[in-house]
Amino acid sequence: MELPILPTSIIGSYPKPRWLLRMYSLRELGRLPEEDFREAVRDASVAVLREHERAGIDIPWDGEMGRSEMTEYFTAKIAGFKFYGPVRVWGNAYFNKAAAVSKLEYREPLVLDEFRWVKENTTREIVKVPITGPYTIAEWSFNEYYSSKEELAFDLAKILNKEFKLLEKEGATFIQIDEPAMLNHPDEVPIAVEAINRAVKGVKVKFGLHVCYSNYYLLADYFEDIKVSQFALEAANRNFRDLDYLKKLIHQELGFGVVDVHNPRVESPEEVAKAIRKVMKYVEPERLYINPDCGLKLLDRRIAYQKLVNMVKGVEIVRRELAREGKTSIPFRREV
Amino acid sequence: MIVPALIGSLPRPVSLAKKIEQYSIGRLKEEDLEKAYLEHTRRAFIKLREAGIRVITDGLYRWDDIFNPFIRFIEGVEVNGLFKFYENNFFYRSPVVRGELSLRENPLPEWLNQALAIKEEVYPGATLKAVLPGPVTLAYHSLNEYYKSLDELSEAYAGVIEEAIKELPVELVELQEPALAAELSRATREKSDEVSKETAKTLIERLSKVKELWVVTYFGTPQVLPDNVILNIDLISGSVPEKYSGELGLGIVDARETKMERRDRLEDKLRPYFRRHSRIYVTPNTLLDFLPESVAWRKLKLLGKLGGE
Repeated sequence: MELPILPTSIIGSYPKPRWLLRMYSLRELGRLPEEDFREAVRDASVAVLREHERAGIDIPWDGEMGRSEMTEYFTAKIAGFKFYGPVRVWGNAYFNKAAAVSKLEYREPLVLDEFRWVKENTTREIVKVPITGPYTIAEWSFNEYYSSKEELAFDLAKILNKEFKLLEKEGATFIQIDEPAMLNHPDEVPIAVEAINRAVKGVKVKFGLHVCYSNYYLLADYFEDIKVSQFALEAANRNFRDLDYLKKLIHQELGFGVVDVHNPRVESPEEVAKAIRKVMKYVEPERLYINPDCGLKLLDRRIAYQKLVNMVKGVEIVRRELAREGKTSIPFRREV
Repeated sequence: MIVPALIGSLPRPVSLAKKIEQYSIGRLKEEDLEKAYLEHTRRAFIKLREAGIRVITDGLYRWDDIFNPFIRFIEGVEVNGLFKFYENNFFYRSPVVRGELSLRENPLPEWLNQALAIKEEVYPGATLKAVLPGPVTLAYHSLNEYYKSLDELSEAYAGVIEEAIKELPVELVELQEPALAAELSRATREKSDEVSKETAKTLIERLSKVKELWVVTYFGTPQVLPDNVILNIDLISGSVPEKYSGELGLGIVDARETKMERRDRLEDKLRPYFRRHSRIYVTPNTLLDFLPESVAWRKLKLLGKLGGE
């Protein structure tokens, strides 16, 4: 399978349409039949998928229209978790932090339905399935049952491994593991690495790993140990400064973040192209994918869309330059 | 004697958060938001009374984190983006120090007077303390663009705090000083400078001459042991230094895990400290913000049961 050089993709979330947010509120109040809610999610999913495709994204997703939050969505589907109520993250932002109260068990598919729906509706050959990783779910949960976080993370890895095998069987080719918390405790990074490796074991799809707003020098020490073929990392938020950690990225690909998701200013195509030229001093274009820094959900929907459009335009500028060197496509690489 | 006490914040109720949000987008009048603060404070004090917590705070319902809004009242400080609060999935807005620090305004006395009036009405037997961030923790969590060193910055913060606490209508002031025990994590950002232990000790002891101080440390064992203060120590992630003999608060209930502790085990844990201390305050080990509200209150009730001779 071939892709254009510098394939463009997304990280995961995208702003939910306002009407869908209303559906979420009505559902929370018990004033919307579940069937109607599901239909709304599916319609929104197609709308966002089209938006990604229209922007020119090579490897799209549906913007996680069916997910309320990145850990709660998963912990609600895994047996052994219990919710005591919301916990504040900052200001007036809360999330339902689950507590592991008994042995965690795989109860139902986590994202299989989402994948089937996206696959059925996309015009693209490959889609990227983002899933929150085992260490981040463990780190963002309370632990009342396991004797250590390690044990909890490893059981979560087992559950995710089951889901990954199911996705592979259904035709998924690219899964992104989201681990924003994996560098939270510098001395626990080896646990996170082992949990990720257990989750991907025996599954022959392309795996990416997304880590954001963290100290990447900590991560770089483990690049070679993590069994994924791509690291999707943010760089626009840091204004593309301090990329030296990439010197340690010798074999795997880089999903390079060129769009700041916390700033409503839309980057110009020239800025995107400049950033790509800069990163090509560290990673050759054959190992580069281009994506936003992180999920776009906090932005206004029109701004999020325009950022994707300009990202693709910026990529096209560099593609034209690379075409002069005869570099126009790369193989879709699954192996680590 | 065991005295159950609250340190720092209570979890901000979602109902109050919704009011604050409505106010911030202009859909609620200021006076209605004020009413909401007072009503939630009243409810909290009643629950603290029922739980048997004898030394209380106002729950920091007006605070987003241990620095905000206090840093907004300081000249020379701008408020920056979000940073991870130690190794927690909890974020604070960081102070950026761009000029000489001085206290610009101080609404804390008014807020405390309101809380005192409510306390007199619903829980007169409790002692209410004020809560402020300490100078050392403030210095470590600031982006310093003005002072030559963190020692100088922490001294400047101490000056501001001194001004602020002079005017408070309470005798007891809690200083949030996790930085006396916990290293600034690499997960937050790389550390470039430090506050010397001597400076930290001197500054806190200087502030203890203005008001009675309750210095709250957590996420480790305190490396600085100021004299003439009540020192709160996190027994979940730290321990009481052998040489410490001053007044003691013990963080024995885990405010970062929902699992309930057993009362008999907590009593066993406390026993050795009575050899050297006739009075011990028992508290959560850190801010209750890290717990869902229902669990936080269950843990406070458990603490309350430990109280007595």
